[in-house]
Amino acid sequence: MEEFIGKIWDRWLTRQVTSDFTSASVNLTDLQAELTLYYRALGGAPGKTLEPADARKVRLRRTGMQRVAGSHQRFALPWQDDRSVRLPASLAVFSSPRLNTSLYYWLVAMAARLPQVSNWFRDNQQAALALTSSYPGLNRQYKELVAELMALRPPVDDIPEDLRRRELAVAQALREPGLLADLPSSAFDCFPVWLWLYPQPPTLFSVPVATTGSGPELEAGERSSEQQTLQQRKQAQRIDDEHETDGLLVFLPDSLMSWTEQINLDRCQDDDSDDDFEQIANDIDLITVSRQRKATAAKVKFDLDLPAAENDELCLGPGIRLPEWHYRKGRLRPDVCLLQPLLADEAEPVSLPAHLRQTSEEVRRKFALVGLGNTRLRGQPDGQDLDLDAWIDEYSKPLRDTARQNFFLDQRKTHRDFCCLILADLSLSTEGYVSDDCQVIDVIRDSLMVLAEGLDQTRDDFAIYGFSSVRNSHVRYQLMKNFGEPYSDRVRGRIARIKPGFYTRMGAAIRQSSRILERQPQAHRVLLLVSDGKPNDLDQYEGRYGIEDTRQAIIEARQLGITPYCVTVDECGHDYLPYLFGRDGFAVVSDPTQLPRVLPRIYLNVSTH
Amino acid sequence: MNSQSYYQIQNDEYEIFQHAVQHRLPVLIKGPTGCGKTRFVEYMAEQLERPLYTVSCHDDLTAADLLGRHLIGPDGTYWQDGPLTRAAREGGICYLDEIIEARKDTTVALHSLSDHRRTVHLERTGETLTAHEDFMLVVSYNPSYQNLIKGLKPSTRQRFVAMSFGYPEASVEASIIAHESGIDEASAGQLVKLATDIRRLTDIDLTAAVSTRLLIYAGKMLKSGCPARKACLYCVIEPLTDEPTTRQSLLRLVDAHF
Repeated sequence: MEEFIGKIWDRWLTRQVTSDFTSASVNLTDLQAELTLYYRALGGAPGKTLEPADARKVRLRRTGMQRVAGSHQRFALPWQDDRSVRLPASLAVFSSPRLNTSLYYWLVAMAARLPQVSNWFRDNQQAALALTSSYPGLNRQYKELVAELMALRPPVDDIPEDLRRRELAVAQALREPGLLADLPSSAFDCFPVWLWLYPQPPTLFSVPVATTGSGPELEAGERSSEQQTLQQRKQAQRIDDEHETDGLLVFLPDSLMSWTEQINLDRCQDDDSDDDFEQIANDIDLITVSRQRKATAAKVKFDLDLPAAENDELCLGPGIRLPEWHYRKGRLRPDVCLLQPLLADEAEPVSLPAHLRQTSEEVRRKFALVGLGNTRLRGQPDGQDLDLDAWIDEYSKPLRDTARQNFFLDQRKTHRDFCCLILADLSLSTEGYVSDDCQVIDVIRDSLMVLAEGLDQTRDDFAIYGFSSVRNSHVRYQLMKNFGEPYSDRVRGRIARIKPGFYTRMGAAIRQSSRILERQPQAHRVLLLVSDGKPNDLDQYEGRYGIEDTRQAIIEARQLGITPYCVTVDECGHDYLPYLFGRDGFAVVSDPTQLPRVLPRIYLNVSTH
Repeated sequence: MNSQSYYQIQNDEYEIFQHAVQHRLPVLIKGPTGCGKTRFVEYMAEQLERPLYTVSCHDDLTAADLLGRHLIGPDGTYWQDGPLTRAAREGGICYLDEIIEARKDTTVALHSLSDHRRTVHLERTGETLTAHEDFMLVVSYNPSYQNLIKGLKPSTRQRFVAMSFGYPEASVEASIIAHESGIDEASAGQLVKLATDIRRLTDIDLTAAVSTRLLIYAGKMLKSGCPARKACLYCVIEPLTDEPTTRQSLLRLVDAHF
């Protein structure tokens, strides 16, 4: 009963204090693809992605009711950093979805114009002025949004003088951007200005609090459906745990009373699987992560998650040094990555698994039609030579059809001069489940086998490699089939043994694959990447750095005359893949279980015309 | 031939082409779709007062399509010159547009005509034809066009004086659009601004960039009273993409500009 009353009370109270038009709410996820494109078109950095912003604390002067309800303390405000543009996960500022959508577009235009906010008040006005003066349509859109927004701003009649001056200044700056230079000081923040971007927190930086599928924190066997933890990034800071305590970090006794204010738990080493963590993390404004990540527990888990490299694979040589692209410096840093080629030399030869036989048969039949060599076509309406037999046949008929003149011989050259290197992502995220009893890695394994069956049929020379990584010092590059090596049970055995582990340092793997392909004599060389997500690793490779490095590796491959193509099962692939592979350089397979069937078809589409 | 061809010279393409003509060198023009390659060749043909034989290359274009073939007439078979042979025999400019689209074995037929020999051997008639002194070979292709099967062989490429064309500078492009479509410079400038934004998406979200040609179409529609949004939708966005998301986003971009 208490709970029931509580719920009603909460609902009533929320309704009293809310300033959102929830029925007109528009979600970022629904508009993400459109907005990303719009952002790029208006000159935004193409390597950046759009992400939901976290809620940030704002010091507002709240009404009594708002205090009781505990509302108006945190807002998801738009801002951006080097990695991505953060926008509210949903917008319900205006009473119509059209205006809320329009606001998203306006914010994206602002983000493209204003990559960095140093003076919040001045910079936003300048950006708005620049946009409205060069885009007549945006000018109209802005005016409409400002007019609507003004009606929603809190009243300025009975508020302290300093806050009133501030509110009035903001209102004027919105109406006539560029007019005012300084924002009057006040003890309170002003109500969120939804048309402006907020600065990047100067002392804070964002780190993911929960991995979305490939971190070492991920327990083995964890289902992909359960991995959808915090979609939005949290504000976070790193601190040095000088005391090297195992449990609690620097902790202030008075903060124990309330975890919403401060929680100094060292989550790195917390092995407890408390279900509330996600909820708690969601509610905390700022998450502090210890720099002392030499935590033994994390290391042990690392090895438990992954097959020990020295037990299952033979390291081929001391490793290969590869460069990496640093997008901020705009240059390649030589010898930054150490790539380790590996060979599962003790893999037992296996024949094609029974469940793949039917699909493989179909694929073999399809591939058999490709690359049959020269074909001579008789009785064509057009061609290089006369088909005298056809001509004599026609002329010997008593009634001739003069309209039809199919008297030519045509020769079609269909010889294929192709080779393909298949590069499979074997990072830990492939451990995610695509159905109740099937993991991404199973699908990749099956796909490799089925595609290899088809390629074997076309006589296109092909190689199969897999990759994963732990930072730049250990990029694992696993050989399953080399060029020139016949496709055999031994190769199938190596494919059958692939296991997920580690992270996705895509750039290094692509560079090494390009080097291998470069040595191939064929005129057409395809690098087919089979992946399940973004480039990502434990270090700075997470986020934009990884994307830019991968893009650079792909550009380098193209310059060598190689055609890179990516097939992914990542549904978010549309956000970043166009930037990496170009509009026509990738395919997103929405149903991963279909990959074994779809991959050969994609290969045929790419390699025939 | 249209004697009124309008072409705005942008760099040194006119001068280089003239030098190539003087030395009877073949010319290769690279550039994105609709940037004015064909218009330039037409313009040059008019300036030089030479006939122009344009062949739009395609998947099935064979050597016979260029060189000629035996046909059957009422009195038996006879030989019919192809456009390349005719240009070589009678003098004139043979322009192979989007040569990258043609089959590879076809482009090999050009080799002997494009180097110092300036001859072509017609295997089927046994004739070796030496090109007329006014014969000139011009080919073009779009380098951003990616296809695994196709691609110009280095041995073919390296027989040409090659020029890279891009979209004209904003002010030049605006004046071209204004001239061709009859709209005022301000509206033409707005179309160019839109194109500049859309061109940022080339090779990332769009396969091809928006061409000057499409902007001229949009300009013509604006001139005849079509609302800007519709003109841009049907002349710029729809020809560029089939993707509903991309279409929607580009439409928003048009709304921002007009």
